[in-house]
Amino acid sequence: MHLDQLQSISGYGDRVDRFAVATRSSANVSRLLKEINDVAFGFRAYRSRDIAVETSRTFQVVSRFHRAIGVITIVASSLFLLCIMVLKVEERRRDIAALRLMGISRWSIVKSIIIEAALVAVLGSALGVLLGLIGSLIVNWHYQALYHTPLEFSIVTPEIVGMSVLLSLVLGAAAGVLASLRLVRTPPLVLLGR
Amino acid sequence: MRLTLARAALIRHRARTLLAVLGVAVAAAMLLDMVMLATGMRESFRQLLVSRGFDIRLAPKGTLPFDTDATIPSVSAITSVLRSNPDVREISPVLGAAMHIQAEGRDISGSVLGIDPSVQGDYELLSGKDVSDPDAIVVNDHLLNQLRARMGDTLNVATGYDPQTRTYSGQRKLVLSGRVRFIYGAAEQSSGAVRRETLEAMEGGARRDRASLFMIRVRSGADPDRVRDWIETYIPTVSAISIATAIAQVDQRLSYFRQLAVILGAVSLFVGFLLVTTLMTVSVNERTGEIAVMRAIGISREHIVEQIVVEGVAISVAGAVLGLGLGLVTARYLNAILSAFPGLPTAIDFFLFQPQAAWSALGLLIISGIGAGIYPAWRAASLPISESLRREAIA
Repeated sequence: MHLDQLQSISGYGDRVDRFAVATRSSANVSRLLKEINDVAFGFRAYRSRDIAVETSRTFQVVSRFHRAIGVITIVASSLFLLCIMVLKVEERRRDIAALRLMGISRWSIVKSIIIEAALVAVLGSALGVLLGLIGSLIVNWHYQALYHTPLEFSIVTPEIVGMSVLLSLVLGAAAGVLASLRLVRTPPLVLLGR
Repeated sequence: MRLTLARAALIRHRARTLLAVLGVAVAAAMLLDMVMLATGMRESFRQLLVSRGFDIRLAPKGTLPFDTDATIPSVSAITSVLRSNPDVREISPVLGAAMHIQAEGRDISGSVLGIDPSVQGDYELLSGKDVSDPDAIVVNDHLLNQLRARMGDTLNVATGYDPQTRTYSGQRKLVLSGRVRFIYGAAEQSSGAVRRETLEAMEGGARRDRASLFMIRVRSGADPDRVRDWIETYIPTVSAISIATAIAQVDQRLSYFRQLAVILGAVSLFVGFLLVTTLMTVSVNERTGEIAVMRAIGISREHIVEQIVVEGVAISVAGAVLGLGLGLVTARYLNAILSAFPGLPTAIDFFLFQPQAAWSALGLLIISGIGAGIYPAWRAASLPISESLRREAIA
């Protein structure tokens, strides 16, 4: 309802709880705040940013919690990726031994495994981004309905997608290096079980 | 024999087994944390509510305790009505207000509770004396540090600040008599307590004979929910909140964390399951010849299935044990982050360790370990013996 109607119904008179003041883009906000507060009687002016910081402490805590969970997830994914790469590489002990006996250099084998690991990581991250987008839609749909708000709880930005792909690429390549180095250092005949 | 063979198979590929155990340990740590988060918050809140033995809280109609500035009128009349119920053993009315203390030229603001010291359940005395005197005040450590005051100091306390006129409804000199810890208070909150009549006098006529909250102890053996229903029938100006109701309301407000815990717990379990399944599948693929030889010399399919399932369970159990320690460390870290929630009582733990939570996580991991071993074990046991032996001989 209109302000005057609410004032009339509530018997509040010519009073309001707060004013929102928009300034010109060139205005000196600090000077304006000082001027208002110097003449203010019974109220005080605050910068919107300061109020936002104070009232968003809950969001800051939730955000820190999400970041910590994210770090744990990255550690778990790294171990998972490393484990899978070790298994994949070890499965091909004989192939690697054959390549080494044919005269293919260690570095070429390591490079081929890194490329393979990076491809797996890129494919995995593409699937992950798709799952993330679907997950984000479900999260927003669920929590917007639960809390009756249009606020977006989960936002997938190009920066987040880029960082996720880059991270999985780096982790995948690192896992490939670690997994392949173990095998290329082993003599080919030992790999063949001779 | 099964155990010996399973152990030998795991030791043969030490690095691979170690990595799998580490992977399962991280998943187990996450799972334990999420089980702790899903169940611990509610248990911690319940422990906090029952810690002082009060079974029912009365707040102004339609509100939660100290959720708004609203107060309950006619404290004396409500107390008389409550006393008429033989199941009500003790009544503790509490009045809350904002206070300002002038100290060394600074204005320090905080909250103050008006209580009856003989029945209060809001704080525990750490040192000094309780508010036996009408001119006494007890404060928590946060406020004491801000005031830089000592026991016996006189404080200039004001309440009822009117921002329009920049005046207080009441000012009084109170003697600092004790240091207390507020049970329901947040860590960064500056709080004090005085006798209820003292605060009523300072707040002026508008808050005379009013309370922000009543805390009620019921007689041993009485049903708090029946007493709560009786109160809501006979005292229409209040919302009576039993411990079960309060927990349900907190559950609703913090449902986000419970749902997050369920989702992340399920993802952790799935990741652990996937890791063990992959490892066991690769391990079986590598050992087709060995398994074919075992089958050829008369070892039963059940024996092979059991051996592979034992390997999967062994990785899960080793990972779970390692994950238990890791989970407790990460839970402390995550709890420290969430403890910074504004206004959250310091006694609330989001991640509360309960042996049942650890057993649940371990049980889930063992079940997933068994599940993870079944598919590779079934494949291993179904291998055609002669073909596998021929392929192994050619290789």
